[in-house]
Amino acid sequence: MIILFVVLPLVVAGILPLVGKLSRRVLPDLLANATMLFLLVYGAVAGRALIAGGPVLQQSPWLGEAVNIRLALDGFSLFMLVAIALVGLAASLFSIDYMEHYGAKGNYYALYLVMIAGMNGLVLSTDLFSVYIFLEVAAVASYALVAYGLGRDELEAAFKYLMLSVVASAFVVAAIAVIFGMTGSLDFAAVAAALKELNAGAVVGVAAAFFIMGFGLKAALVPFHAWLPDAHPSAPAPISAVLSGLLIKVSGVYAMTRIFLGVFGLTPALSGVLMLLGAVSMVVAALLALGQKDMKRMLAYSSISQVGYVVLGIGIGTPLGIAGGLFHLFNHALAKGLLFLTSGSVQQATGTRDMDDMGGLAKRMPVTAVTNLVGSLSIAGVPPLNGFWSKLLIIVALVQAGHPVFAVIAVLVSVLTLWYYLIMQRKAFFGKLNEKWAAVKEAPFWMTAATVFLALLCVGIGILFSSTVSTWVQPAADVLADGVHAVTGSWGF
Amino acid sequence: MILQTALLIGVVLFSVLAILLRDLLKSAVSLAVASLLLGIIFFRMNAPYAGVFEISVVAGLITVLFILTITLVHKGDEVRESRLANWVFPLFFVIFVVIDALVMKSLLGKIPALASGAETGTFGEVLWKGRTLDLVGQIAVILAGVFAVLALFRKGDKHE
Repeated sequence: MIILFVVLPLVVAGILPLVGKLSRRVLPDLLANATMLFLLVYGAVAGRALIAGGPVLQQSPWLGEAVNIRLALDGFSLFMLVAIALVGLAASLFSIDYMEHYGAKGNYYALYLVMIAGMNGLVLSTDLFSVYIFLEVAAVASYALVAYGLGRDELEAAFKYLMLSVVASAFVVAAIAVIFGMTGSLDFAAVAAALKELNAGAVVGVAAAFFIMGFGLKAALVPFHAWLPDAHPSAPAPISAVLSGLLIKVSGVYAMTRIFLGVFGLTPALSGVLMLLGAVSMVVAALLALGQKDMKRMLAYSSISQVGYVVLGIGIGTPLGIAGGLFHLFNHALAKGLLFLTSGSVQQATGTRDMDDMGGLAKRMPVTAVTNLVGSLSIAGVPPLNGFWSKLLIIVALVQAGHPVFAVIAVLVSVLTLWYYLIMQRKAFFGKLNEKWAAVKEAPFWMTAATVFLALLCVGIGILFSSTVSTWVQPAADVLADGVHAVTGSWGF
Repeated sequence: MILQTALLIGVVLFSVLAILLRDLLKSAVSLAVASLLLGIIFFRMNAPYAGVFEISVVAGLITVLFILTITLVHKGDEVRESRLANWVFPLFFVIFVVIDALVMKSLLGKIPALASGAETGTFGEVLWKGRTLDLVGQIAVILAGVFAVLALFRKGDKHE
């Protein structure tokens, strides 16, 4: 029952506000975390068995009647579902202690699960318009979650995020309308087949440009990134972790990849545009991250830079490049989720996000400091952590595909990344303990547990990288590489 | 053709007015007129269901909600309109009409005719059977909206 991935979080979300009236803390915590745990176990265990014989297309009945609820599960969607469940579970565990002082936990978890349902629905849908609908489900829930603290900053950031996100959605709908107008269909496979027949290169080009603007805004690629450094730091830490770790990738990178590689076919021109966007995002955002004092803002810029790596890898279009891009997507989801969660621990303990104000916190918060260090080194690409292997795959793929300049840029940005993460380590965790923080204590149990969980994953996947790649990443990359092979049409851009 | 162009120009005119006007009440009414004209265009283009929804929900129901909310929170004092609107609006409008006249006619001929889709049938069949997954998505959007209102207008123990 693939539909459980969408319906279960929605049903639990529906009853959570009522449960929240009965029990203010325990029941909402328990229900939300149990749901996330179930989704993780179901995806990781049952999912692999389901797609053992190839992609599954399930048609679910509605009240006993045969209706068109069609969901497809293949290697790529299962890979995304597991990533969503992993980071989602860590963030919801973290929320148990972190969201304590925000109040209205039932409502918080309800919005959180609607966002998860939206992402899962997007990943499983087989048709362009459903992609748009679930994009909106996740987005509407995330606007409210960014503003959840109700402070001036949070509301302003949420408003800015809303305004730019609406523009993104408008571009996506416009592109879908163009495609529907030309092909008379919305289903991925039918559209791909119809586009092959149709010789309408210019109109496909217009639709592709609209999609790049829409999904580029969602993924916060430079030059569409202005909203992200405001929205992500202002949200509560577990929400920042999910937004940076998952949402920009699902509603930006996943949707773009699925449509460009599986439906339009990755033409050389499109591949060039994607690689260029990726490289520009990597460089510009890394330089902007260098100058940041606000810890979460620096992490937000780093997210833009790392999404650049993912898009660069996928944009190459070779099987190795796609595998590298997807592996980096997964690793960045874990590591950036971890970093945002630890920054939440620090913010809760000290009340500040200004790194100049911190100093020597490792002495007071050793677990947080170590997990943060693991996340930083992983994103910077230091062996043997997971981030190293995915960056290596991308760089090797770039060299193999004959793009040495992009490969050099990728290496240099990796050095820049290490630089700004080391600045963060030095300012926040090492050096002399700022006397203000003499009374600071380690984060509460669940917050620490969530960060340790993600840090262990970063280390474990780094050590067991080849089996991770062969069991999870390769099936996903194969789906996309087959898609590129199957639908690359003859229309020019 | 002339009626169609006039309707399109009307949609753009009232949409722009809805953005430029500072008086929220006038702005809401402009939006309603724009969607009314859009509804008529839908009817004329053989999309009666889209027309019915556009007119009843967007022009009707949502406008009622807007006007209700505005009158509930309205202080009653006069709003001074921006002077920008006085010259930006006519300028924008003239540019639009010129582009429309020059470009649209030749462009319209180039758009391929809509291929008939697989998802045909009566309106009910398409909505309830053909697009059921979208209905699940819409339920989720409504849930998200309701929870957002509950969360953002909550009282008491809010974050400092």
